[in-house]
Amino acid sequence: MRLQRTLASAAILLALGLSGCSPSQPDAQAASTLKIAFFNDNTQLVSIDPFQVYWLEHRVVLRNVVEALTDQDPQTGQIIPWLAERWEISPDAREYTFYLRKDVTFSNGEPFDAQAVKTAFDSNKAFAAELPSTFGATYLAGYDHAEILDPHSIKLVLSKPNAGFLQATSTTNLSILAPESYRKTAKERSLGAVIGSGPFKIEHYTPETGLRLVRREGYAWASANVQNKGDAHLSAIEVSYVPEESVRNGLFLQGKVDILWPRVPFSEVDLQLFQRNDATIQSRSLPGPALNLYPNTRGNRILADQKVRQALLKAIDRKSYASTVYNDAFPVVDGVYDVTTPYFRSQGDKLAYDPQGAAKLLDAAGWTLGQDSYRYKDGKRLALQYNLPGKETAGDVLIQDQLRKVGIELKLKVQTTAEWAAANAAGAYDLTYSYMTRADPIILQTILDPRSANSSTLATNTYEPNVLPLAQTLFDAGLTATASEQRADAYGELQDLLIDQGSAIPVYERVWQAATSKRVQNFRWSAEGFAFLNDIEVKP
Amino acid sequence: MTVLQRLIPVTRDVAHWRPRRRLQRLLDQAGPLLRRPGFVVALILVLFTLLAALWPALFTQVDPYATQPSAKLLPPSAVHWFGTDELGRDLYTRVLYGARLSVEAALLAVGLALVSGLGLGIVSGFIGGRVDNLIMRLVDVLLALPGLLLALAIVTAIGFGTIPVAIAVGVGIIPGFARTTRAEVLRIKTLPYVEAARLGGASWGRTLLRHVLPNAWGPVAVLATLDIGAAILATAGLSFLGFGAAPPAAEWGTLIANGRHFLITAPWVSLLPGLFLVLVVFSLNHIARTFEETQR
Repeated sequence: MRLQRTLASAAILLALGLSGCSPSQPDAQAASTLKIAFFNDNTQLVSIDPFQVYWLEHRVVLRNVVEALTDQDPQTGQIIPWLAERWEISPDAREYTFYLRKDVTFSNGEPFDAQAVKTAFDSNKAFAAELPSTFGATYLAGYDHAEILDPHSIKLVLSKPNAGFLQATSTTNLSILAPESYRKTAKERSLGAVIGSGPFKIEHYTPETGLRLVRREGYAWASANVQNKGDAHLSAIEVSYVPEESVRNGLFLQGKVDILWPRVPFSEVDLQLFQRNDATIQSRSLPGPALNLYPNTRGNRILADQKVRQALLKAIDRKSYASTVYNDAFPVVDGVYDVTTPYFRSQGDKLAYDPQGAAKLLDAAGWTLGQDSYRYKDGKRLALQYNLPGKETAGDVLIQDQLRKVGIELKLKVQTTAEWAAANAAGAYDLTYSYMTRADPIILQTILDPRSANSSTLATNTYEPNVLPLAQTLFDAGLTATASEQRADAYGELQDLLIDQGSAIPVYERVWQAATSKRVQNFRWSAEGFAFLNDIEVKP
Repeated sequence: MTVLQRLIPVTRDVAHWRPRRRLQRLLDQAGPLLRRPGFVVALILVLFTLLAALWPALFTQVDPYATQPSAKLLPPSAVHWFGTDELGRDLYTRVLYGARLSVEAALLAVGLALVSGLGLGIVSGFIGGRVDNLIMRLVDVLLALPGLLLALAIVTAIGFGTIPVAIAVGVGIIPGFARTTRAEVLRIKTLPYVEAARLGGASWGRTLLRHVLPNAWGPVAVLATLDIGAAILATAGLSFLGFGAAPPAAEWGTLIANGRHFLITAPWVSLLPGLFLVLVVFSLNHIARTFEETQR
């Protein structure tokens, strides 16, 4: 009996000793696992199907799992080769011929060839026909059919010009999945059956909880944007969705996650705290519209009056907003788009803080100051309803107080995300907001062009009835223009129109910030504000 | 007594004796209480809170909603007793203005629970039989659900704001009142004076209102005092979760919630309003407990 016990304890000791002295396989893997904490997952559209996804956090992940024909240089915005070695565009901008790399395979072993590209584009087209409001539809606009010239060259034919098409081929939304993925249903793809040719594979995706990527062995076709041309340095990436800010920050400060990557930029106190803890702050303006408020000009609402909208533009102190809500170094918004968007045109002179000017405009519009320092017209108070999903931020309350100074009452109506979307669709608001990210000004069409917007009510309500056709003409001009100068003119005019009409009220530049711990090295941004995860190395 | 006085000739001895005035009686009762320092401190704090709830401008001259970005997240000082929040608003002022909403919500909640609980309890205890069974099974169902969960469900259904939160919390504490009242009514309705009233020809309604209700009231009143503290906590809990008043107005729970992002960097934003809330609830509980002890 005693002998048995001695033997047993000896065996246990031996086992412990062995596991202690040599780093076993799981340990080594844990050492090169990167942990990322995002904010909450998308509950409106549960999907990581590249074509449907607009959720930024998912696109960060997908950028490293699925690959596109082309890539975009983050510095210049130039389109550069990726899965296509080169391409030709016909003079009428209707035919794009891509010459594909020959050494690429998908992670399930299927070869990447012209047939795979055709399958991808045709499947996407079929999906967009079924669900026209899907996010990828604007990327694919005008695509008609594909002609396979030989196994490694393909001609994509558009029925009408789409100036953003080449840029679209560089996005995660039009990335090429393995044919096997398209044989599955959209629902299966949404829940993780996404097979790509990228440096990582999706191991599993659990909505609202997390996602795990593992390294793809034998990867060798990175674009020129990526420094690491071979296999990724990391063996796995664990993504978790942590809605609660203090919990997320706490996890990061305790070293439980390596990259803290919430949607909204860090406040000043958080920045100082992270920097004291040797974290590096990575930031990049997200291409696409800035954080704009969109008015409801229809149905006898107060904001039907252009003067009141102009007064709103003047009554918001954007400089103070950026420095108070974020920090002193935070850029002040300078236009309808963020500065990283191609064809951005500065509107800075029209966005100056001018409370006197606002007061003058409101007086002229017949809104006079009452006893309680709010403005009234015909006994009605100048009160605007601003709908907010989830929870109000400090910034919302700051704007509320800034508007109060010129006599406008801003009612912050906090709703659940579902109620908020419903109110947007029903036009039950005076002000609301929306944003999308893409490194091409076409992206504004998914918000402000009723023909392709997520919420066509929001898009319609933004303009006075006589201005809508004008805006649509400019959208069309920007979309169909073939020369760069024409596009610049169209989108420049559009940005002027939106500000002059008071149809978009910029509040802050959408800067995306991530805090990386000192373990993490070589964090670099892609053109659309995602990260090249195969470049990242972690130090033990 | 009066009959006797009229019958017996008044003597000089009796002339010395005078019934105590109402004020005198109150002072006699309050005397031992006021000699307890804990009770006095609690009373002062609660009175201060009530005053602040009614006229916050008595104690502060600052606008609770005026933002001042240059003075954001200042620690407590002589100028800003509780420091400032992330938009430079004075926290002490915001706590005082928050008292109005929080106290209002708590009183409303307890008031609602008191009225409906009392009504249900009396009906159930006095009528008995099937009605009693039906009402008590409903109360059982309410008791089976955790209070905060029930309140959450109600507030999600009827919308955000101070009054919906008060209703939600109030509904959650009805069962306690109903049970207590019913027990009292069951005890009282067998007492001889109720039978006497009935024999004297009083209607059921009159018996209920004049003889049963006033005598069943005592324990319920103590319960109400105790529950105000609990209701303040529950409303703060709901407003912490974002169901409270529309911004920029802030209940105590909202203030605590807004400060929780700064717990590491600027702990006062969350802790001082939290401390104030805790002190008020402790004070109310202490007062209720003291009453209970002295009544015994």
